[in-house]
Amino acid sequence: MAGVTDAPTELLVQAAGIDVELRRGGEGVPVLFIHGELGVPGWLESHQRLANSFDVIVPSLPGYGQSTRPDWIMGARDVAAWITWLARDLDIRTPVNLVGCSLGGWIAAEIATIAPQFVDKMVLVGAMGLKPEKGEIFDYFLESGNVGLTRAFHRPDESAEYARFYGKELTPDDADVIEQHREMTCRVAWKPYMHSLTLAPLLSGVETETLIVWGAEDAIAPLDCGERYRQAIAGSRLVTINDCGHMPEMEKPEEFAALIQEFFGA
Amino acid sequence: MPETGSTNSKPARSGMVPVTRQFFYFSEMGYNAYPTEVAEQYGYTNLLFPNSIFDPDTARDLWQMFLREHEFASEVGFDGSVCNEHHNSVLSMQASVNVSAAVLTQRIKGKIALIGNPLPIHDNPVRVAEEIAMLDLISGGRIISGFVRGTGVEQLSTNANPAYNRERFEEAYQLILKTWTEPGPFRWEGKHYHLRVVNPWQLPLQKPHPPVWAASILSPETIRWAAKQRITYLVLGSALEATATCREIYHEIAEQDGWTPTAEHLGYLIHTCVMDTDEEAFEQGRHHYGISTGLGRTGFSASALTHGTGSAGSTASGPHPEWMSPPGYMTKQAKAGAMATQRRKFEGTYEDANRAGLIVTGGPETIIQKFKHIIDRTDPGYFVFWAREGKKTHEATMRGIELLGTEVMPALRDHVSALVTGKEVTPWPE
Repeated sequence: MAGVTDAPTELLVQAAGIDVELRRGGEGVPVLFIHGELGVPGWLESHQRLANSFDVIVPSLPGYGQSTRPDWIMGARDVAAWITWLARDLDIRTPVNLVGCSLGGWIAAEIATIAPQFVDKMVLVGAMGLKPEKGEIFDYFLESGNVGLTRAFHRPDESAEYARFYGKELTPDDADVIEQHREMTCRVAWKPYMHSLTLAPLLSGVETETLIVWGAEDAIAPLDCGERYRQAIAGSRLVTINDCGHMPEMEKPEEFAALIQEFFGA
Repeated sequence: MPETGSTNSKPARSGMVPVTRQFFYFSEMGYNAYPTEVAEQYGYTNLLFPNSIFDPDTARDLWQMFLREHEFASEVGFDGSVCNEHHNSVLSMQASVNVSAAVLTQRIKGKIALIGNPLPIHDNPVRVAEEIAMLDLISGGRIISGFVRGTGVEQLSTNANPAYNRERFEEAYQLILKTWTEPGPFRWEGKHYHLRVVNPWQLPLQKPHPPVWAASILSPETIRWAAKQRITYLVLGSALEATATCREIYHEIAEQDGWTPTAEHLGYLIHTCVMDTDEEAFEQGRHHYGISTGLGRTGFSASALTHGTGSAGSTASGPHPEWMSPPGYMTKQAKAGAMATQRRKFEGTYEDANRAGLIVTGGPETIIQKFKHIIDRTDPGYFVFWAREGKKTHEATMRGIELLGTEVMPALRDHVSALVTGKEVTPWPE
């Protein structure tokens, strides 16, 4: 696919009280893309595919990538509130379509509970936030950053995006970034680990049109987490992608983007 | 303890003041009866090492043996005993430093140094302040209250957020100090701790409060913090060169703040194995590095604690690195600093570890000369002899304790450091 590795507008902007690393590309209805606990390593193929139809906005969350870390952010709900502030500072038209991956999915769901008027439609991808009844969310912090990263892919060896961003020998700077992301994740998601006890009851009041996307072989967030979301959000739909782990946005960009384009109505 | 302590306080006016050195006995009181082959199979002996291996009958007997050793150290003239706390590890059976200290108040005559309460793992630091006050009262003012951050593993064992480890440590410390020194009731509403009524009934006997020590393994940030608080910094099992560096960092900070530390601002906890002959001591010292258990073959570390040697059962790969340093537990600067290299695995042989002062072995005459060298280089006011480890027998341990008390300590107590006299450093015996 042409243009996949082309960098879109890549900026460091002052917004929502911090310096924000921001990638943006495409034209059309805005899509705010909220990355997960592993950060966003660059402009992904799936971002580019979506940019063919939408104005795709990919901020690095506070404490991830080059975005600075305000010490007051101590939970996913803090990040959710921060996102609404960011959107205001960036003049993003609301309600806006949200895509949230993993920790970002949890944050998107929190936004839908506290600011339903902010969200048009939302896509939750391998979302954290709800405790599964079957299986357990993988404990990243009993293993190295690299183990977690590899585990997030069903077949890392066959993933072009994995090869592009993670397949090379890690430099000390790369290792620092991985640790920085792990630390920020600890700050917001340590206890209860990667979930909230109040999210599920609050989701009962959410009317946002929601698509839930899950890698069928997700070894980080069990598929049952997706099932919890489907049951919590009235009218939501859960779609699984085969041969895919925790990061469909990287492992299956074509199917992933097609699902979202269809859902958002490209 | 200048400034914040009560006992041993001397004016911090000059580093040239010779002090009467004090000697403490320490053992991790580890569960040394785990099967070596199982440890080999897992590759670690902490956190996820299954507790189905634990045998209560064995542990009961070990407790009695370890406590008798503390008692004997007191009988032969040690100034005190040191206890500590670890979780989910064969390294130490002390799941509560305050419980250990409570027992020791009844078993030994001297001081009891806690090294210490791992503050970040507690959600109510006032409870810690109360327990230490109890200990101080029960012991008649014999408590030295060390505070530590806990190892990385402890954060995982207790689900204490490692990213806030240092913040929690510093806030808990301030809260405890205030609890001890300011009249209650008062309110504490900080970042990590929230108590609307702080007013514990019991307060320490020592005034303004028991002496406070900070202890760490080559953490420059903790050394700086201790220097800022003007409290004793205890080096935990590090090599001689690294310990000298710790002292320099401490003195630099003090100098910037316009004061001069005394020997009492430095403690040195060090692997020590004395027997009747050099050869016997050298062989027994292997227990401190787990060599006799078949583990710890591939190297030691700048501190025995870092890589869990001795009863901790250092394996070929050492403890799981992610557990020792969970995210945010150490800053990037601390990981990258000069001390990081020293903190990493010591690649030398057991013989090299002896030369580096990671472990000090010898018959009385040799070991006295070695310790005079160490005193001449670092001048610690407090020595903590880590004098029992691993599967060393009770008999060998008792003999070592006896020799320390009757021969080694008397020869060192009044040895004035070359750092004070300006004389030549006692040579390290060949």
